[in-house]
Amino acid sequence: MALDATLAGAYPKIGDTTEEQKLRRSLHQFDKGELSEEALEQIKDEAAQDVIQQQMEAGLDILTDGLIRWDDALTYIARGISGFEMAGLIRYFDTNTFYRQPVVESRLEFIKPCLVQDFQFAQEKSSKPVKAVITGPYTIAKLSRNHFYREFKQLAFDLAHIIHKEAQALEEAGCRYLQFDEPAILNHKQDLSLFLKVYEIVTAQLAKAEKTLQLNFGTLEGLYPKIFEVNVERIGIELIKGHPNWQVLKSAPFTKKLMAGIVNARNTKMESEAELNQIVHDLGEHVNVEQLWLSTSHSLEFLPRSNARKKIELLATTAKQLRGASVS
Amino acid sequence: MLLPTTTVGSFPKPDYLAKARFQFSKGQISKTELEELERKATREWIEFQEEIGIDILVDGEMYRGDMVTYFAENFKGFEISGLVRSYGNRYYRKPVAVGEIERANPVTVEWFKFAQSLTQKPVKGMLTGPYTIMDWSFDEHYSSRRDFCLRLAEVVCEEAKDLEAAGAQYIQIDEPAISVRPEELDLAIEAMGIATQGLKAHTLTHICYGDFPKIYPKMLEIPVDQIDLELSNNEFDLLGLFKKAPFTKEIGLGVLDVHSHRVETQSEVISRIEKALKIIPKEKIYVSPDCGLKTRGMEETKAKLRVMVAAVKEVRESL
Repeated sequence: MALDATLAGAYPKIGDTTEEQKLRRSLHQFDKGELSEEALEQIKDEAAQDVIQQQMEAGLDILTDGLIRWDDALTYIARGISGFEMAGLIRYFDTNTFYRQPVVESRLEFIKPCLVQDFQFAQEKSSKPVKAVITGPYTIAKLSRNHFYREFKQLAFDLAHIIHKEAQALEEAGCRYLQFDEPAILNHKQDLSLFLKVYEIVTAQLAKAEKTLQLNFGTLEGLYPKIFEVNVERIGIELIKGHPNWQVLKSAPFTKKLMAGIVNARNTKMESEAELNQIVHDLGEHVNVEQLWLSTSHSLEFLPRSNARKKIELLATTAKQLRGASVS
Repeated sequence: MLLPTTTVGSFPKPDYLAKARFQFSKGQISKTELEELERKATREWIEFQEEIGIDILVDGEMYRGDMVTYFAENFKGFEISGLVRSYGNRYYRKPVAVGEIERANPVTVEWFKFAQSLTQKPVKGMLTGPYTIMDWSFDEHYSSRRDFCLRLAEVVCEEAKDLEAAGAQYIQIDEPAISVRPEELDLAIEAMGIATQGLKAHTLTHICYGDFPKIYPKMLEIPVDQIDLELSNNEFDLLGLFKKAPFTKEIGLGVLDVHSHRVETQSEVISRIEKALKIIPKEKIYVSPDCGLKTRGMEETKAKLRVMVAAVKEVRESL
């Protein structure tokens, strides 16, 4: 175990060079019927391989598949669940990006794993461990429109069972890091008890992989420290300079491992190495730095690729230097 | 006249202009050639609005791409970023503040004068608000969102004053981002106060659909004469809010869903206007589409606007 650098989820699908925009062009061609589905899948694989390569070159310790095939946080997973129909575009939290809203039209059922193939592909191309990112059942339930279940908790529990199966399949495929993204709980803190029950279902008998609960788009205030009752090993939160979470950390000991989002994934301004070193130093007062993950505050898709690349390089360099410092 | 009709700002670009913009971006045609076509398209839209009887006109924004990037490209202190995805396969470039924001020259005034010279009816001056420009940009220069936003407010005010001096009777300062972060509404109000300070023209702002229950009735403190709202998109649910706390300003009543290809029927639009008439005094209602129409097709846009004007005529006769 050591201090590691990772990213919160997605990596920008395209860059600014012509070569890096092949995926975008191919999607246009596909929409116009000028490209077959097979050919498009091939290009998506190439794009995925490229973002894995970029993460390795940057020096990250734990990678993701870049979520290259995801249109948004919900639909990629929801399309693999029977009972959902897709409706109109809705703003995703306070960002200027959108998601297509899933609508629950009948009882939700697991069809087959939808992330395993992407994980396997990424792991095959990577010399570093690949973390699987899964939108959590609570957030899927909260951001969907419910036309079927009488009670929200029934919807959340059914989704919990479905996501559990997905996680189980990922674990069986050899995935050792599972990350559940649950931004919605930060806007609905009164649901914490239900949330904890949902996670008993999601994480039941998942013993091989380390599980991270990613909580961004807000603060832990009001959930802290009760959130530590959730059955995961690691919690990810936003900890860029000045974030209100710094105050929250002072209120009680942090009793799980931490994934600290210390690099701002929503602004192009570069943090300095000195700034990040100071942040890690400050985190040392709250957690065991040896087990710390340094990460981006959010998915990197809010940045142009060239900026995203610089940010992960900085994270990797910082982690590497801090590891060196603790050895000596 | 009751229920003046207007539009939110943008219209679709005709094919010849879309093609010319592409050619210009590839360096195949000159700026002068592009501008000639932008003027031609503006002229056509002014003629169309006159022909169907819209009361307060817009220039249609034939010369703008994105409503924020357009201003960022014309203000000092901004650079433009690489591509960022908004949804699916759609990408856009965001402005990046890299230095103090300044306005070297008027940005929209010549276009306003040109459009106004083509018609006797009033043409609105159309600006993007400081809060929205701030929220939709990256910031590498200012130390806080507030500093960035208030500086933009001063710059937008300079532009608004020049529009007024050029004869604009209506100045619209759009703030679509305002409904996204209720906790920053005070900042947006303060910024609009700076942007509209000293203006004698009729001022209005357009706000897109968002979490209105969280910002209403507080949003009535935005210092403008009129707030234009997206209402059709949500089947006029918002009107329920106005029953609880009266809408005290003039309202720009969005009666056409701009996200739908379907052309509304005249009776649908009439019923939307009538719903509003039950809650808001008739003297305070202006009628418009939900939002800019630039993403709709040419024919759809024209058909929708014709229905809107016809519906208003019919309602007026009954008042």
